[in-house]
Amino acid sequence: MRHTFIIARRVLAQLKGDRRFLILSIAGPLIIIYFLKLLFDTFPPMANVKSFTIPFCAFIVHFLSFILCAILLVQERTRGTLERMMIGGFSKTSIIGGYTLGYFGLATVQAGSVLAESIWLFKLSYDLKTVVLMFLVIWLLAVVSVMLGIFISTFAKQEAHVLPFIPIVILPSVFLTGLIIQPGGLPVWAQIIGKCLPLHYAVNIINVIIKPDYLFSSTLVDFGILTGYIFILLVLASLTLKDTE
Amino acid sequence: MNAIEIVNLSKNYGRIAALNNMSLNVPKGSIYGLVGPNGSGKTTLIKALIGSLRPNSGSVKVLGLDPLKDKWQLRKQIGYMPQSPALYDDLSARDNIRFFGEAQNVSDLEQKVDEILLFAELTARADDLVRTFSGGMKKRVSLCCSLIHSPQIIFLDEPTAAVDPHLKMQSWMLFRKLAQSGVTIFISTHQMDEVLLCDKVTILRNGEILAVDTPQNILKRGKTRIKTTIKNEDRITVIDSNSTDLANALKIYGLDNNISSVEFQPDSIEDIILTIVREKEKEGKL
Repeated sequence: MRHTFIIARRVLAQLKGDRRFLILSIAGPLIIIYFLKLLFDTFPPMANVKSFTIPFCAFIVHFLSFILCAILLVQERTRGTLERMMIGGFSKTSIIGGYTLGYFGLATVQAGSVLAESIWLFKLSYDLKTVVLMFLVIWLLAVVSVMLGIFISTFAKQEAHVLPFIPIVILPSVFLTGLIIQPGGLPVWAQIIGKCLPLHYAVNIINVIIKPDYLFSSTLVDFGILTGYIFILLVLASLTLKDTE
Repeated sequence: MNAIEIVNLSKNYGRIAALNNMSLNVPKGSIYGLVGPNGSGKTTLIKALIGSLRPNSGSVKVLGLDPLKDKWQLRKQIGYMPQSPALYDDLSARDNIRFFGEAQNVSDLEQKVDEILLFAELTARADDLVRTFSGGMKKRVSLCCSLIHSPQIIFLDEPTAAVDPHLKMQSWMLFRKLAQSGVTIFISTHQMDEVLLCDKVTILRNGEILAVDTPQNILKRGKTRIKTTIKNEDRITVIDSNSTDLANALKIYGLDNNISSVEFQPDSIEDIILTIVREKEKEGKL
């Protein structure tokens, strides 16, 4: 555990040192949410755009957390620091754990700021319990995205190799997880793919908790699956991250 | 006692043999040089020794340990400085060194970081971000990171490339001091003047060992050109670079009054190494 905290501290210090990255990773989602607001404003007044707002926030955080973490970890590989960490005595699990823990902070700020902006910009009114649950879903999804980024980075030898994974791993989430349309109308095989994507479960939870009289217990399975992704990806990343060529 | 024992080590990348049936022993407490052109297998060999690369065949022992099977035990005892600086540009020099020191649980870390920064003449820039450093300064920080935990064996992959002559000399003085205290230094270099500072040198080419010898013995393999000017006429004699041949070469002149000058042009270490490479190429071994 000590090594995990050392790496997490280093990741946080690095983020602090790279102000441009830090500002972009927090300001980027906020700007996109503002563009989303501009888009939704063009829709007819009867369109229920508010139900799409929070799921879209979750997607933006999901996408950015994945891409930033994957690229940063690939940078570790191309710069030789990943090899140096491993030769220096850090284990694979402490590297993955340290990275995840380090990005917890960033994921928390991202999830909190995106949610606060959306509520303010779209004039959403939810009770505190719902807002807390929304934050929890977006935050959990951000953590899953960090783990996914770490896992995918093991297949990339340079930063550019991460890009082909965006249409494979991230973009299907837009169409198959209920973000735009309910997946019930999709072919069965597309529904199955959709159910393999973590955003599906985040959208499920959000769609339940934005209704006025929801039962928290009806979200537990989705919360469980979303949390399960963290452990599955942790195991997968540990298996694929190699300390020898 | 040997710090490194390599027996029939081979590593292939597809059809290319990066290391070809290599065997080598490195005595403990020595400065062992690895010389060869780009692509000769120097970095691959170092990576195999630190357990960062899985060889296709052969065996390796470092401090009596298998770099793959006993990696956790071994990694506490080795220092590694890769060819690229391998540092965090968004951290200061101090934070980089501290990070790698913390990994090895170094006691009195802050004091040791200060000491090593002083040695590398980086105290004044210790808290500046590494991204503001020159290439040579980054090399110095990287060297500090590999030494911070006082390892028993240090693998240095071209450590003094782009380092100014003054710090290069200081680094070599430190390497010698470390070797005298029992630390083994395994160093790959392009710079021929550094070959002479090693206790023993291996010349590599295309993943094969061409020669293993002390720098002094390698120098003896060279030729000396003697240019004598007799009555304004130059005469060039080529002899082996040893004192007996030199005496014999000069005997024939008997200190003739007509000899107005005698010039000696011994082969440089670079000339000798290139000759060894060419000879092996002629023999068809490469």
